Amino acid sequence: MGGYGDVKLLREDGKRLDGRAIDEMRPVTIEAGVLPAADGSAMVTHGLNVAVAAVYGPMEAHPRKIQRQDRAVIDVRYNMAPFSTGDRIRPGFNRRSREISKVTAESLESVVLVERYPRSKIRVEIEILAAEAGTRCAGITAASVALADAGIPMRDMIVGVASGKIEDTVVLDLDKAEDNYGQADLPVGILPNTGEIAFLQMDGDLSIEEYNLAMEYNHKAAKEIHEIMVDALKRRYEGGEA
Amino acid sequence: MVELVPSLLRQELERLAADGQRLDGRGQFDGRKVHLEVDCLYNAEGSAKVVWGDTIIYAGVKFEIRTPWPDRPTQGSLMCGAELRPVAHRKYEPGPPSPESIELGRVVDRGIRESGCIDMDELCIVPGEKVWGVMIDIHVLSDGGNIFDAAGLAAIAALRTAVVPAERFDVGEDHTLKVNGTPIMASFKRAGGRFVYDPSEEEELGGDERIHITLGDEGHLHSLQKGLKGVFTPDEFAEILAVAEQKCSELREMVAEKEGN
Repeated sequence: MGGYGDVKLLREDGKRLDGRAIDEMRPVTIEAGVLPAADGSAMVTHGLNVAVAAVYGPMEAHPRKIQRQDRAVIDVRYNMAPFSTGDRIRPGFNRRSREISKVTAESLESVVLVERYPRSKIRVEIEILAAEAGTRCAGITAASVALADAGIPMRDMIVGVASGKIEDTVVLDLDKAEDNYGQADLPVGILPNTGEIAFLQMDGDLSIEEYNLAMEYNHKAAKEIHEIMVDALKRRYEGGEA
Repeated sequence: MVELVPSLLRQELERLAADGQRLDGRGQFDGRKVHLEVDCLYNAEGSAKVVWGDTIIYAGVKFEIRTPWPDRPTQGSLMCGAELRPVAHRKYEPGPPSPESIELGRVVDRGIRESGCIDMDELCIVPGEKVWGVMIDIHVLSDGGNIFDAAGLAAIAALRTAVVPAERFDVGEDHTLKVNGTPIMASFKRAGGRFVYDPSEEEELGGDERIHITLGDEGHLHSLQKGLKGVFTPDEFAEILAVAEQKCSELREMVAEKEGN
């Protein structure tokens, strides 16, 4: 975490700087099928974060060495646009985006019925257009909706959510300032129908009790976001007009 | 190896062209529907989203402070780059910038730079010490054909609505970037033997050479580019140049309208 110093993150009335309650999530909107060129796609706005995901495939897996005889491989690329942050980021893969891509791919492999598509590849592209803490979670949510939009069979979708700790208080869904000056961040990917965890990272300092509370907040938020995900897919396929 | 789909498509495009038709029902010089949105990304100092048919492109403007080149101590700099991310189409692969994305970025860059719409001296903060570097990044999210025109439109719209973040860098007050002009690109593709305006994905796959024309406010040429295999006659160029003039003024009005809001 960025450090814990003299930055006040909680107001006198117990609310957070942006006026949210401790267990209140930033507003989330989701739209499915936003990219005509892709087989499946979704755009997620989570607070000021904007994440777009595209799915291509299942397609031929090449180079051949990445093929698996009994299942599909999921190839995830998480990428931040150069203009997505305060200072411009040099285009291209870096260590952070490589790691996020890897663990995101592994979590998606846990829900996609990969054994249905042996020797093939499913490409998942996550583009972050605006970043304000929580982009990997917005990316996972977007990827799940894009996979569903592409008609790829899954056991469940994955909802990306995070809780953390600021001023010794566990809070749901850190924003930029809270992420920079807070004490802990716990981003997870939750399967809303079973409550299982497919994605887990954490940094900072949390007691067991604090972890349990943070997870409780995460599960609650996952239910809310899941409804928005389902609604986005329904709008895409029930309304007639995409 | 003969690529089956492009050669079948080529025949179909030729058949249609003989009747003056196009695959999607447009006339030879009809463009697709264009939707422009500005100031749509939170962290970019200027931003635009263009939905052009099935093509979707974002452009974002960022500023940084740098030391000027020794031979031009009062001049800032402008750079326009494009990324054809694998998100945009199944044909794009990850990896270092492809020749296609470099060409796209450089053609858009030339149109903006050569139009002189940015006065590099205006980007000076302290002569010889500090100048603004302006970076326009073009992010292609969906390639449904004619990404050049969409990228050019997104780039100039983002630039024209950009705010110089002087306060963040402690060098004065935030102010809008001064942009003297609206260079606009119009692209043509030989499909079925004749040039069409605003090629679709299929026309790009089954066609031949392409020509990109960037025109300034006065109708002057600021950048030309011919890409891919093929030759054209002076008469053909005169014809598409006349179309370009009309298309560019229409799009320029669209940019002006969005700025007003």
